[in-house]
Amino acid sequence: MKKRLLPVAVLVTAAFGLTACAGGSTGGDDSGDVSAKGETLDVWIMEGTNPDSDAFFDEVGDAFTKETGAKLNVEFVQWADAHDRFVTSIAGGTTPDVAETGTTWTAEFADAGALAPIGDYVDDENLGDDLVEGLVTSGTYDDELYGMPWYAGVRSLVYRSDIFEELGLAAPTSWDEIVSAGEAIKAAHPEMMAFAVPGDAEFGVYPWVWGAGGEVATKDGDEWASGLDSSESQEGIQFYTDLALKHGFSSAGATTWKETDVLDNFAQGNVAMALMGSWTPAAIVEKNAELEGKFAATPIPGKDGGIAPSVLGGSHLSMFNTAENPDLAWEFIKLMTTGDFAAQWGEQSGYFPGQQSLLTETMSSDDPLVAPFATQLVDGGGTVPVTPKFGAVQAKKTTNTAIQAILSGQKTVEQATSDAAAEMNEIMNGN
Amino acid sequence: MQRRSPLTRLRPWLLLGPALAVLAVLLLWPLVRVFLFSLQDYGLREIVSGEPNWIGLANYGEIFTDPTLWTVVLPNTVGFAVLAVACTVALGTGVAVLMASLGPLWRTVVGSAIMIAWAMPAVTGTYVWIWIFDADRGIFNETLQALGLQDEPVNWFTNRYTFYAIVLLNVVHHGFPFVAITILAGLLGVPKEMLEAAEMDGAGAWRRFWRIIVPNLKQVFAVVIILSTIWDFKVFAQVYLMPGGSGSNREALNLGVWSYVESFGQNRYGFGSAIAVLLTLVLLGITVVYVRTMLKEDEL
Amino acid sequence: MSTMTPAPVTTPAASGATGDASRGAIPRTRRTARKTRSAAVKAVLVVLLLGFTLFPAFWMLSSAFDKSAGAGGQTLLPREWTLANFEYVLTEGGFDVFLRNSAIVALVTVLASAVLALLASVAVARFRFRFRTGMLLMILVVQMVPLEALVIPLFVQVRDLQLLNTLLGLMVVYVALSLPFGIWMLRGFVAAVPIELEEAAYIDGASWGRMFRSVLLPLVMPGLVATSVFSFITAWNEFIFAMTLLGGATENYTVAIGLKQFFGEHSNEWGYIMAASTIITIPVMIFFVIVQRRLSSGLVAGAVKG
Repeated sequence: MKKRLLPVAVLVTAAFGLTACAGGSTGGDDSGDVSAKGETLDVWIMEGTNPDSDAFFDEVGDAFTKETGAKLNVEFVQWADAHDRFVTSIAGGTTPDVAETGTTWTAEFADAGALAPIGDYVDDENLGDDLVEGLVTSGTYDDELYGMPWYAGVRSLVYRSDIFEELGLAAPTSWDEIVSAGEAIKAAHPEMMAFAVPGDAEFGVYPWVWGAGGEVATKDGDEWASGLDSSESQEGIQFYTDLALKHGFSSAGATTWKETDVLDNFAQGNVAMALMGSWTPAAIVEKNAELEGKFAATPIPGKDGGIAPSVLGGSHLSMFNTAENPDLAWEFIKLMTTGDFAAQWGEQSGYFPGQQSLLTETMSSDDPLVAPFATQLVDGGGTVPVTPKFGAVQAKKTTNTAIQAILSGQKTVEQATSDAAAEMNEIMNGN
Repeated sequence: MQRRSPLTRLRPWLLLGPALAVLAVLLLWPLVRVFLFSLQDYGLREIVSGEPNWIGLANYGEIFTDPTLWTVVLPNTVGFAVLAVACTVALGTGVAVLMASLGPLWRTVVGSAIMIAWAMPAVTGTYVWIWIFDADRGIFNETLQALGLQDEPVNWFTNRYTFYAIVLLNVVHHGFPFVAITILAGLLGVPKEMLEAAEMDGAGAWRRFWRIIVPNLKQVFAVVIILSTIWDFKVFAQVYLMPGGSGSNREALNLGVWSYVESFGQNRYGFGSAIAVLLTLVLLGITVVYVRTMLKEDEL
Repeated sequence: MSTMTPAPVTTPAASGATGDASRGAIPRTRRTARKTRSAAVKAVLVVLLLGFTLFPAFWMLSSAFDKSAGAGGQTLLPREWTLANFEYVLTEGGFDVFLRNSAIVALVTVLASAVLALLASVAVARFRFRFRTGMLLMILVVQMVPLEALVIPLFVQVRDLQLLNTLLGLMVVYVALSLPFGIWMLRGFVAAVPIELEEAAYIDGASWGRMFRSVLLPLVMPGLVATSVFSFITAWNEFIFAMTLLGGATENYTVAIGLKQFFGEHSNEWGYIMAASTIITIPVMIFFVIVQRRLSSGLVAGAVKG
């Protein structure tokens, strides 16, 4: 429990433990006046985070050129392909200078020797005290900081408020209420999916595991042990998959959906409830302006009330070993993760900034599509196991496979979870 | 007649040289290397550093003791190839016979139509089939529902057998034109007198086919069957691109996809190489049959 | 099977092999009845075949022109015709770039592999030398190697050549992939050219190079077309190497891998996806239908004559 819950106290008490001790004083001398005329900085950014990222990066590029004289070359990468693409480029020595790395990948890439430590730069700028703790933890490997906290996001329960209002429903606060709301919607709007249960989206699964009191994996000494096959986890997964199988809230097609499919279908008005990220409201409105004001968010309910933790996802900006001019790369990282651009990115994308001072500002928002996510982030932000090996678990799609197998009737919950737990143990404790 | 100057003696090698160089660097040496990799615990680190990390036959041991191989991957690969070849050749032959009996106009029409099927790239073809069978909005489900044959949409991609049925449809649709065209050309080479003589003797179409056409085209059939076998053993894009096909639906793995996801997803290039070697060996076996068929009547 | 010479498919003489001639002892009325019945069966078969063969292509086109293909409830023909899907795909979708890349890759692959394969096939068909049989066997065997087996070592190889993420790296690999089949097929064509023609050229005082240009080359042209079609298809359709060798270099993506990336971004917008698929497929289809005749004769010569 301790490992994954990030209570508000820790979040707000900005702490920058590990890397601060790394000390040393090489690197970034007088930042701000790096002169790199004629150079080009290659950067990979994940596609789809910010609906208007082209315009944003045009602006960043101009500012960057003004400051350093170097050109910025941004390449957009899809989440679905990104892991394979990073791995291939690491193997091939064709990594960019700087890239957005998902928080669960940073340690893995650092472990492969592909990233350059940035702790010294952070120390020199005295930024350490103002970084969000959860992102620092996941960006640290072997006591060195490799991932600069950029933004964080959580998934919460997003629902169609117009339909809830029409049927006189209130936002669910427990599992039973999800079911009763779902039944009401199913009866009144049989053409809609009352609750989407996507089979190819692991982050939609963990909240139910945690909400039932289970664990994804825990570390005992040097051994990782997956908790997916515990009776609590099984109960959570049973409930989640039953939404589709027993209650018929989802669709057969959803068995092979990814999170992007949930988003598309929600935007098309086919879905009444789904777990979606804090970054999706903007995208939904962008795709279908008619839905503006017709949906809302609420923290994911625990089994008997309370808030079920949901993965504190997000991204770092990481510098690769192949960066020709580390100082220049750092200038870009700093430009992106602190100050105006970081705040602007958060606003446009619906993510929470990785800089503590900016985060505190966002938290006080009373926007109905921001506040519930902020609550989720603070009171129910969890992390997946912090180990370089978890990236391999994700790449193997262990959890997705289990959910898909249950949804398609290939396996029972017991079988699927114990298979998944065995596979997870094998990968996480492998060499 | 040929003048025996040094140039003449060197000429074949000069002509062969460029092609050989390309083949050696990009096919033969990699082939040796994939075997070398398969004997190592070859991960990202090794690829980056280039240091070998020998572990003997451990990768092969792991493959052969992995139930995935026996229950999923091998049946999928072999079973699919057998079915696909049977369907492709049967359909292709049928179409060839049909085309041979058509007048010039309709033969051109049918010929152009199957060219269109053949020309559709595997990647686009796969997406079209995915779209046709899409669970939520695909025309297949919508038609079945409109006809009252099913109440709820079915997700055809999650079940191993329906998954491969769609792959089969895709592969046969893409593969039968080659068979049809090749056999048609062979058919037209069968002396007409033989067929007419047989018809005079009262042999029905079915018997004429087995008695005259099949023996005459034995070699054409052999080539077509073996080439199709080789192609159908290594289907990759048609499986990998399907929903769940890139690893999340474990029951849909075949040798090619398994090798790819283990190597590039798990960074276990050694293990993936060992799977690839296995696939190569299976195909090599088939190639031996091919070579022997080819060499029987025609000296090289 | 040396009786099998390259024969165009639709020679008028060979058409209607079974249906036309009036022959034999069968009474006229029965024959007519049988003829009508078999014509009807044939018609049904042709319709079924055309349906199966053309439906995917038809459906692709229909969805590509449909304004709301992704919304479901689609009818056979688009409810509202539009070109917007194509417009989007060619501009925002980036397929203008993918098409250009594919065209470059395909062109270079076709030319390079045709030249190399032709030279090599002349060597193995016209000359006797040590290791000749071994060479042929090797070419045959290499042709059978599954691409998946080569992905890992070729990836390392291309990296060592510093050609990852470049079109050149991809071209080199495609040339290598299409060579074995090309050599094998062209060998049959070269062997089919009567050696007397060559000797006649020598008697006229032509050098080997002259003979090659004016005698051999024109005669093996149909074979060259057939092999070129194959290397074109390889280069245009190939997926797994494009995926691994091009990695993150989106600006160098070919159509096949571009489509995969596009599908990832727009997985439920079937109108876009089908429009993109159409754009990719059309050039290949046109090419195919044009070379149909030569293709089949080339195939028979290559595959059967072996």
